[in-house]
Amino acid sequence: MTGASQTMQSSGPARDGKIADRLARKRRFQDHVVQGLCLFATAIGLAFLVLILATLLYLGMKGLSLGVFTTVTKPPGSNGGLLNAILGSLIQTGLGTAIGTPIGLLVGTYLAEYSAGSKLGDAVRFVSDVLLSAPSILIGLFVYTLLVTPFGGFSGWAGSVALAVIVIPIVVRTTEDMLRLIPVAMREAAVALGAPKWKSIVFICYRAARDGIATGVLLAIARIAGETAPLLFTSLGNLNWSVDLGKPMASLPVTIYQYAGSPFDDWVQLAWVAALLITFGVLALNVLARIVLRPRS
Amino acid sequence: MSTTTKSGDTRPGIGAMAVRASPPLRDARISIRNLDFYYGANKALKGINLDFPAGQVTGMIGPSGCGKSTLLRVLNRMYDLYPGQRATGEVMMDGENIIAPGMDLNQLRSRIGMVFQKPTPFPMSIYDNIAFGVKLHETLNRAQMDERVEWSLTRAALWGEVKDRLTTSAMGLSGGQQQRLCIARTIAVRPEVILLDEPTSALDPISTLKIEELIDELKHDFTIAIVTHNMQQAARCADQVAFFYLGEMVEVAQAAQMFTAPKEKRTQEYITGRFG
Repeated sequence: MTGASQTMQSSGPARDGKIADRLARKRRFQDHVVQGLCLFATAIGLAFLVLILATLLYLGMKGLSLGVFTTVTKPPGSNGGLLNAILGSLIQTGLGTAIGTPIGLLVGTYLAEYSAGSKLGDAVRFVSDVLLSAPSILIGLFVYTLLVTPFGGFSGWAGSVALAVIVIPIVVRTTEDMLRLIPVAMREAAVALGAPKWKSIVFICYRAARDGIATGVLLAIARIAGETAPLLFTSLGNLNWSVDLGKPMASLPVTIYQYAGSPFDDWVQLAWVAALLITFGVLALNVLARIVLRPRS
Repeated sequence: MSTTTKSGDTRPGIGAMAVRASPPLRDARISIRNLDFYYGANKALKGINLDFPAGQVTGMIGPSGCGKSTLLRVLNRMYDLYPGQRATGEVMMDGENIIAPGMDLNQLRSRIGMVFQKPTPFPMSIYDNIAFGVKLHETLNRAQMDERVEWSLTRAALWGEVKDRLTTSAMGLSGGQQQRLCIARTIAVRPEVILLDEPTSALDPISTLKIEELIDELKHDFTIAIVTHNMQQAARCADQVAFFYLGEMVEVAQAAQMFTAPKEKRTQEYITGRFG
């Protein structure tokens, strides 16, 4: 050490081994502290997640039986199921997705491919982003004014439209982002073959962005499958069997809302089952999509 | 001068480059006259005059940013995709000025195909990559399409490597195979002119060699324009070479002439590696 520091002194200030050691110890200490904080935060986050899932599984599985899927909701104490709520949720979520996805896809395509430099494009993007974070109860109220009041009552249609309004901005955002990720070279290659712009978008860009766009649609489905507020003002819920879209329609989230706060033990139990069904429905959809969209080699 | 030597003979050029004897240049397939090109207010090409001889290869060389790729993108009107880019002057093909307004661009691009620097396979099967371009311009039945796919892949020297996996994704091919697929895709549309924008700069030497052999083969049926940074490649592939510098075309000559006795001092300095 002394020999080395002496030769270095001739060319510049010598390295002080003690200071360097102290700094290194300090850095290691800081590193441990930050790592510890990160782990602690992760543990808190995971703990809540595990707790929620465990509670859901424990309480939900207790009430799960075939009757849940084959019987409609009934008055307390008469052994009801969730059939109408399950079907209502499937219909409204499906219809909401079916209405919202094409609109969102086309708006996203407009923003990514046709709106370059236009004020309208910037305005549409801004409005869509605002809608993305708008409270869902507001959307419920909006559709209530638009479809429930003028047409004389709550209906499955109104519920589906409210859910579609939630789907649109999510699909717009992901479609635009995914289309923008496609390299310019690929678009130019399609155009260089003599393809008109719309064909290069539909046959090349959509295909290249397929996985990303599908992920966006899945996120949207997962989001609306659990939405309660927009449905309270639109499809209301229905304790009887009904698949008529012109009438009030049951759904799992609204049933949870009505049952979980009730004083009847069997209704509370059914609310837990409904929560379990939504969670696993969304999970199953995600897994299915991963399998279907798996890149083929 | 070099036309007296037999085709295939090589002689040392400047910078110890092997230069192939050049055949006489044929009549022009495309003629550029007084072409100016602008990126917004920035003039990127200045008063270009250049003929592309039919059934021969025109190489375009010059340092980065000299305008050679820009010129290529004028020929198939690729610049039309971007507002703010415009060209003035004449680019004559079959008695028509192809940069004039009112040109059917999709049809033009089916007559003048382009292969890019980076291979750009579409995210679909090898077969569909080729069928996509063909379907834009022709209605073929299944058997005719099969035939066209085989024909174009054979011409692109790729058929043997992919004939057993036409339905698998083109993304699984190697870089060199992808680039040959892009060439196959381009010739499947049966263009008259093929533009190659540094087609081998992203490829390894063996793939590069294959593509160069392919260019030699293809020029019998197509008029070819190739932009390259590699002067050896220009010397190997091109019949005619044009040197660009700062948006101007400094010199154009038969390849052998260009690499053995360039007229302009700037050309000689670039070829011998003094700048660029």
